[in-house]
Amino acid sequence: MTNKPLNIVLFYCANALDAAALRKNAGETGADDIKTVSLPCSGKVNLLYLLKAVEKGADGVVVITCHHGDCKFLEGNLRAQKRVEAVDALLFESGLGRGHIRVIQKNTENGVKHIFEEIENFKNQIRVSSGR
Amino acid sequence: MIVAERKSIPDLVEILQDHKKILVLGCGTCVTVCLAGGEREVSIISSALRIASNIHGLDFEIEELTIERQCDNVFIEEATDAINRNDAVLSLGCGAGVQALAERYAKKPIYAGLDTAFIGILEDRGIWAEKCAACGACVLHQYGGICPITRCAKQMLNGPCGGSREDRCEVRPDRPCAWQLIYHRLKGIGQLERLTEIAPPKNWEPGHGGGCRVIVREDHRI
Repeated sequence: MTNKPLNIVLFYCANALDAAALRKNAGETGADDIKTVSLPCSGKVNLLYLLKAVEKGADGVVVITCHHGDCKFLEGNLRAQKRVEAVDALLFESGLGRGHIRVIQKNTENGVKHIFEEIENFKNQIRVSSGR
Repeated sequence: MIVAERKSIPDLVEILQDHKKILVLGCGTCVTVCLAGGEREVSIISSALRIASNIHGLDFEIEELTIERQCDNVFIEEATDAINRNDAVLSLGCGAGVQALAERYAKKPIYAGLDTAFIGILEDRGIWAEKCAACGACVLHQYGGICPITRCAKQMLNGPCGGSREDRCEVRPDRPCAWQLIYHRLKGIGQLERLTEIAPPKNWEPGHGGGCRVIVREDHRI
């Protein structure tokens, strides 16, 4: 692995995550470039948002949703999960392989800390699969 | 409406690999409603093709456009400039749309980006089901508006076959038995006596067996 910086695009539900906490933690992710995109609900994310992020050079895309059962709009987090699965399949078809996109659910007990641990795991997974 | 679904990205890459400048052309009618070939799907498929192009070093230059209807010359006209400035067209219209384009632009490769599946309706969110086989001799009036040709796996005109289980078709257990639906429907509209009539063999002559079907309306030809 070369430890080349990764470009990560992070879509997050504004009801699941506080923008200030996100900025603070995103700043502690080392040399990696993390772009954050706030959504009124993770269900607002659509296939094109996610594909465009990859098309424009993202090595990985993360969608942060509320915990199951906690969505303010009832089923936005469920829709986000389905759309991420659809994009994962499309990226596989396109030749990129699986695992470049994932959903991280907010864990009600560990909050933001848990999310950033998951992002680190995701980045390591991409580094291993792409040899970076 | 006509229901279609997109071909896989590897299939599309194989179809398009000899071209560089490609127009992905959507249709704003049936395939928009069935989420296969409208403006949004044009963007999604184009984006996936650009990603595939980068990975496979194909150098695609993809332009996106959606017109109101691909099966009508009046609307196809709007795409003329875009078609002319590209090497090939990937049509996200149904089979009729692809052929309408191919007939109009004789020297331009026009490829189908979708597999046209059937005439059907949206049954539930994300579920489309076939309702009409376009057999050319409609018998819906005899069966309470439920088509035994399309919806009965055995195409029985004098059903039921007796093989259904708990209102499910024995051939397709994920689908309801069409004859159970016909029975309940005829009962509901007070026409159960229709089931005492024996239906004669269906006239298949107007169907597709005789080749390409054409309807001529002389009153509209002047």
